[in-house]
Amino acid sequence: MKQFKHTSLSALALFLGLAFAAPLPALAFDDEESAEEAEEEDGDKWFAVVDGDVFTGTGAVLRGATVLAKNGVIEEIGYDLYLPEGTQVLRVPGQRVYPGLVALSATSRISRGMFASRDEGEIDELARAEAEIEGTPESPETFDWLAAAYDPTLPGSSAPEDEEGAVGRRPVRMDAEDGYDPFNPYLILALATGITTAEQGDSALKLKRGSIDGVGMTEKYISSFAWSNSSPSSKESTRAKFKSASDYLREHRKWEERGDKEIPEPDKKGVDANALKVLRGETWARFSSNDRSELLGIARLAQQYKFRPVIYGAREGWTVADELGRAGAYIVVTPRSRADKDERYVRPGGSSIENAAKLHAAGATVTVVPASTSIDLSGIAGRDLLHLPIEAGFAVRGGMSEQAALEAITINPARIMGVDHRVGSLEVGKDCDLIVTDGDVLHYETFVQWAVVAGEIAYDKQEEIYFAHIRPRSDAVDPLEVVGEEPATEDEAPAEPDADDAEEGDDAEEGDDAEEGDDAEEGDDPEAGDDASGDDATGGR
Amino acid sequence: MISSFLLFSLLVAAPAPAPAQGIVAIRVGRAESIASGTLEHAVILVEGNTITAIGEDLPIEPGIPILDRPDWVVTPGLVNCYSRLGLTSRAGNQFEPHVLASQELTEVNSALGQVLELGVTTLGLVPPGAGITGQAVAIRTKGSKPADLVLQDRAFLALSLETNSSSKKALRRGFEGVDDYQGKVDKERAKFDKKNDSKKSKSKSKDKDEDKDKDEFKPPTPDEKVKPFLDVREGRLSALVNIRKASDWLHLRDVISEEKDMRYHLRCPLSDDIDLYEVKDAIGELALHFVTTPTITQQVGTRRERNLPAELTTAGAKLVFVPASDSVRSHETYVKEVAYLVSKGLDAEAAYYGLTLGPATVLGVEDRVGSLEVGKHANLVLWNGDPFEPGTEIQAVMLEGAWVHEEDGATE
Repeated sequence: MKQFKHTSLSALALFLGLAFAAPLPALAFDDEESAEEAEEEDGDKWFAVVDGDVFTGTGAVLRGATVLAKNGVIEEIGYDLYLPEGTQVLRVPGQRVYPGLVALSATSRISRGMFASRDEGEIDELARAEAEIEGTPESPETFDWLAAAYDPTLPGSSAPEDEEGAVGRRPVRMDAEDGYDPFNPYLILALATGITTAEQGDSALKLKRGSIDGVGMTEKYISSFAWSNSSPSSKESTRAKFKSASDYLREHRKWEERGDKEIPEPDKKGVDANALKVLRGETWARFSSNDRSELLGIARLAQQYKFRPVIYGAREGWTVADELGRAGAYIVVTPRSRADKDERYVRPGGSSIENAAKLHAAGATVTVVPASTSIDLSGIAGRDLLHLPIEAGFAVRGGMSEQAALEAITINPARIMGVDHRVGSLEVGKDCDLIVTDGDVLHYETFVQWAVVAGEIAYDKQEEIYFAHIRPRSDAVDPLEVVGEEPATEDEAPAEPDADDAEEGDDAEEGDDAEEGDDAEEGDDPEAGDDASGDDATGGR
Repeated sequence: MISSFLLFSLLVAAPAPAPAQGIVAIRVGRAESIASGTLEHAVILVEGNTITAIGEDLPIEPGIPILDRPDWVVTPGLVNCYSRLGLTSRAGNQFEPHVLASQELTEVNSALGQVLELGVTTLGLVPPGAGITGQAVAIRTKGSKPADLVLQDRAFLALSLETNSSSKKALRRGFEGVDDYQGKVDKERAKFDKKNDSKKSKSKSKDKDEDKDKDEFKPPTPDEKVKPFLDVREGRLSALVNIRKASDWLHLRDVISEEKDMRYHLRCPLSDDIDLYEVKDAIGELALHFVTTPTITQQVGTRRERNLPAELTTAGAKLVFVPASDSVRSHETYVKEVAYLVSKGLDAEAAYYGLTLGPATVLGVEDRVGSLEVGKHANLVLWNGDPFEPGTEIQAVMLEGAWVHEEDGATE
């Protein structure tokens, strides 16, 4: 169509040129038009997942629909979409498309790799976490350096999102971003699990493959507070922090309302900075508790000071679900977590498989994490980070709806990290971070076939050494193609990659082979596609 | 061709029957000249401490002593650009760009003599430790006193860049120091210009010659820690960046994205499970010098062997070899290890370059050593066969025109 428009315009121009015997403007017009067109084609990167059953994560399921992304951001989701020339197409008939999973408190191995040195950055994080608990800000240099970089009110600062736009100084990166190794095997394993966003330290990272640009999404979105029966003073000091912050805010509001410049601004001295941030809605308050009475205490504290707590653990949450729901709590649970009831008490207690379901029913926002968030086979196999979706499956076993369980590993953790406007569901305008699975993502037999991060294929099961041998995908049809490009014939297609391989002696399986989509022979044949996926798509049923 | 012409003209111009002292002609079966490829039936004329002619089947004036070894092969003296032979080590990260390795040269260490016997005629000594450690010095491996050794001081700035924030911060800090300094210079210049302008307007009526006498603007002297980074930014000093894995390279690019004129080389010792193949094309595209060990590595997570040096060469990088460990013993075997890589597909020419001219370029002494060219130092290694064939041994080593090592009767 574009082509037609172009021709007609030039024809018109030519006609005008002839009519007025002024060929110069006509030529200029023509050039401009084609230049514009060329620019558009060069500049934008289009990617589409076609024919999959799209589970958007918001509750909708679009069978056989297309997700189209432009420059890593979802442009359109729907049927019969126009795919611009040069769009890289991933054809996945019979398979499911989900938003990429989001993992809270994931092991730093994901971003740092196996042999990552325990560098200062990591120690900084520990120190910071400790400092948070103590209520004092971290060491002054780190604090100033990063605060100045990210505080949008300060001149010369740049928010992490628009690093590219930052002028003058070099882009400033988060600590976690500076430690990001986009080639490490644990990253590939995380992608193989379907995880495309992970919490690293106190930062949210996008698990990009082979690139470190735009990896950091946000950081310092949470502050830890202590609340423990075994240490009554911890409760006392936490309550005091919120009280002082709340009092300060009240005073400050009064002062503002009065608008009298003669009266000095209320003094911030002695006011806990973290509690203040929480009450202002700038960060979350993180608690960690499994005990019923502690959970009640946290819920009541949160209601009193009007903030929504993030509670890790909450094993006995089901016994006080109503109260946690009323407090609007974000609960991070492990459905398979087990503990016996304390028989000294008559009241209900201990773990319950129904924990997640009951909390969800009561209105709490439930997030699921596995028992171990490391990637480590020396621990409990089947319960580490690589089994995040299966853990969510156990929430379903406890009575949670499948939709809620999916949200518990996608949009809900994204909300806690404050990145739900970019990831966690498939919606127009969000990042194109998605996974293609051969069945229900919560089912243990399901494999992630592809993981797409920012509109680029970051993981392809058949291209990696880890799971390619289990239920190998049929290679009768190449699922990858590029719109507008002739499917390559046998002789010419392998020219470049194969010559390379021959020289190396062996080929790099983990290279970015995503571009080799033009090897497709019969990519357009939908029937063949169905055949290929037929035996794969049984997982969830 | 040109060199043979030179020799010819030399002979015509100076037909004196008795040749000058210290002239020797070396006639061998093959010369790996590096600069002009492989020469068969090569003749090299050494006069004093330099090569004055080199070519295939050159005529040799009667009276010049000839070392005739038709089965032998001659290569330039080997160069190891990254070493701390004979120096004490030190642990820990530091930020000391101003430290000079040449300051550690307090004696002529016996290790130098040992590697000289192994064909290494030029050595790059780097400052100790990790982080931003200071500047290297290029030395010859023989001399009567430490000062005689120095070939080139401030050869390059040695630093390491790892995938972590502290390492990146250190390097950023280096360049930010230059930012601050340059800001200060601009301010001073503005002040200077303003002062000048006002003076000019005042003294307009006076003689114009007076203006000329006015002294030029002198920028403030940079801090000793800022100066090396200023030189690196402006391309006067090259940097040698140590990395350990593929992601380090990406993070390096991230930190130096603004440094358009920076010249740098990479160094990455190879180990099993190294994932450098992920970025080989990007490194190759920039045609960087890549200092590495002659090691066969494995694909991560597998037992599949990879010849990374060969892959890097194919991708366009210029290899520079250093021994796997910084010991005399490792110098004994590293040519053989390079030979093994050649047998596994590494281009032989690239391998020779990586042992000689490549490291010389990294050290910034490529105008004097590293290849067999007219005018360069006569640093030669004579082998009794192809250096990359098993069983071949060094027969003699010449350092700047003098035989410094020879097997029995090798040079008679």
